[in-house]
Amino acid sequence: MRLGRGIDMRASARKWIRVGLAGPMAVISALVMMAGMTQWLPGGDAGIDNLVLPLLLVPLLWAGFFFHACLDSRLSRVAILSIGLTMVHAGMVADRFVNSAPGPAQALRP
Amino acid sequence: MIHLEKEDTKLMVAVHGWSGILLGLLLYAVVITGMAAVFAEEIGIWSAGHVQTSSAFQRPFDRAVRALGERTPEKYHEGVDLFEVGDRNMGVFFHRHETDASGNLVSRGIYYQLDAQGRVASERSGTGEEVFGPRNDDALSSFLVDTHVRLHLPNPWGLLLTGILGLAMLVAAISGLLIHRHLFKDIFTLRRRANPVLVDRDRHSVAGTWSLPFAFLLAFTGSFFSFFGTVGVPIVAMAAFGGDVQALNDAVFGNPRAVDERPVAVGNLDRIAEDSIRRTGEAPTFLSIEHFGRADSQVTSFHLPGEGGLEPATLLYDGATGRFDRAKPSIGTTPSAGGTLAAIMAPIHFGNFAGLLSKAIWFGLGFAMCYVTLTGLRLWLIRRKEAGRSLDWLERIVGAVGFGLPLGLVASAAAFLISMPVGSAVFWTPAAFLVGFGGALVLACTLRSAAMLDRVLQQATGVVLALLPLLRLATGGPGWTQALTVGQPVIVAMDIACILGGGWMVWRLRRLGVSSGRERRAPILQAAE
Repeated sequence: MRLGRGIDMRASARKWIRVGLAGPMAVISALVMMAGMTQWLPGGDAGIDNLVLPLLLVPLLWAGFFFHACLDSRLSRVAILSIGLTMVHAGMVADRFVNSAPGPAQALRP
Repeated sequence: MIHLEKEDTKLMVAVHGWSGILLGLLLYAVVITGMAAVFAEEIGIWSAGHVQTSSAFQRPFDRAVRALGERTPEKYHEGVDLFEVGDRNMGVFFHRHETDASGNLVSRGIYYQLDAQGRVASERSGTGEEVFGPRNDDALSSFLVDTHVRLHLPNPWGLLLTGILGLAMLVAAISGLLIHRHLFKDIFTLRRRANPVLVDRDRHSVAGTWSLPFAFLLAFTGSFFSFFGTVGVPIVAMAAFGGDVQALNDAVFGNPRAVDERPVAVGNLDRIAEDSIRRTGEAPTFLSIEHFGRADSQVTSFHLPGEGGLEPATLLYDGATGRFDRAKPSIGTTPSAGGTLAAIMAPIHFGNFAGLLSKAIWFGLGFAMCYVTLTGLRLWLIRRKEAGRSLDWLERIVGAVGFGLPLGLVASAAAFLISMPVGSAVFWTPAAFLVGFGGALVLACTLRSAAMLDRVLQQATGVVLALLPLLRLATGGPGWTQALTVGQPVIVAMDIACILGGGWMVWRLRRLGVSSGRERRAPILQAAE
């Protein structure tokens, strides 16, 4: 009986963790990744690809995070990927703020 | 074919169903108005009886703009936008960029509307959002576009909501693809003699599968447009420019040039327009002048995509001399992957890259999307009924929205045709929509059955739609001979489309009415998947 309740609780907790990863976490990850991509994407010939591509890709990034959270059977993998990418990109933006005064457009060019 | 585990398939079916149920009705409102808005320009010409066919940029406008420059305070010479309004007249917006009290970047200035002779017909001061409201002669097309873009909610909430609806559509499209176990077989399966639920399921599946790439493209481009200014630009500006949105705009859309503030009269705009038409074969849709009346002024002309192309054409001129500088990408100073992708988002979303043909295809696929959304909701309800959880109230709401929205739209068109000649279309167009749609909701609460509700609403929509051409003629709109003589066949085409569309709806209902008694059996219910 206690074992059964434990399994139920684990299943319920897993369900809510998955909902959290597919719901709010997918939104946060997509938005943070959009901000972070401006730091590592090449600017291209016009020097604007790093600004425009993240804006274009954000709906697809969100869909990627959402469906990965829904379909990957291993929640730990979903969490590691989602949180990992979010942390890395948030770190890039934070590094930009800490190490250089933001502003001039030429600073963006890779 | 994509093979998922049984549990994953069940989850995808749930995601597909709930994404539709939670946001399906709002999504339906956005898709149906978007479907109509594909022809917003043609609806504007038809409803207001516009008979002018040559572009405002093909008539002399240089002297009028020069005179406006003299009477406009110099602080608003930072940018001048020129575009067509009404019956091929010109709108001119002298403005500057500034940050408002909420920290948002806005354009503030004076907006002039010129008449066919180049005289000032109206003048308004304020921010872009304040001065560009609907006018009496474009109230119907403006109403359609505004409903589609932001459901008449204030900024930024309307755009955020339609962006979320775009994401819901993306989810429904992708999960719809994933739950098909036999995708290629399903595309061609239409069992006409099966029970009604299976017939509906097959139709939903076939219409949904064929329009899947379109649904994906529309959802992707639509959510991009909704989130671009509301979420995307502020975040990217924060990450790349410390929050300076103007710096981001300059980097992406600007034409960098050495600053030269010496006052120099602007070059001949008529010649610039003429040259741009010669080079692209099309009149500009938009002309933008940076630093009007300065030595470093630049003029950019924007054109629809050329034949066989997807990317709009953009030409750059020296503003002081009027000399052609170069053809440039719409976004960025030189061609790049990001700029090209961003530039083709609008033609893909609006379907205007190949004239009326692409618009007609987009309209048809939009109709298929409406059908898929509505039948999807219906199938979901049938599955609940099968499980003993009948949701009669929801069935009625689906009927009221599904068929009440088209009724509201044709009612707003009828009200526009009646009220435009007396100058009150800006009020009556949305008011009639509310009356039509509100009437549908009242009927949903009072009629005996959901089936009767569907029937009454479709009949009313068909009758009003078929009568619109008569109403247009009765209220002083141009007749077919006049429209064809001045070169506006679109007026005749729209009339015929209304008569055929309305007639088909009424005829179809009569036919269904005859056959329903003998063909409708108690349905053998099956899962909608």
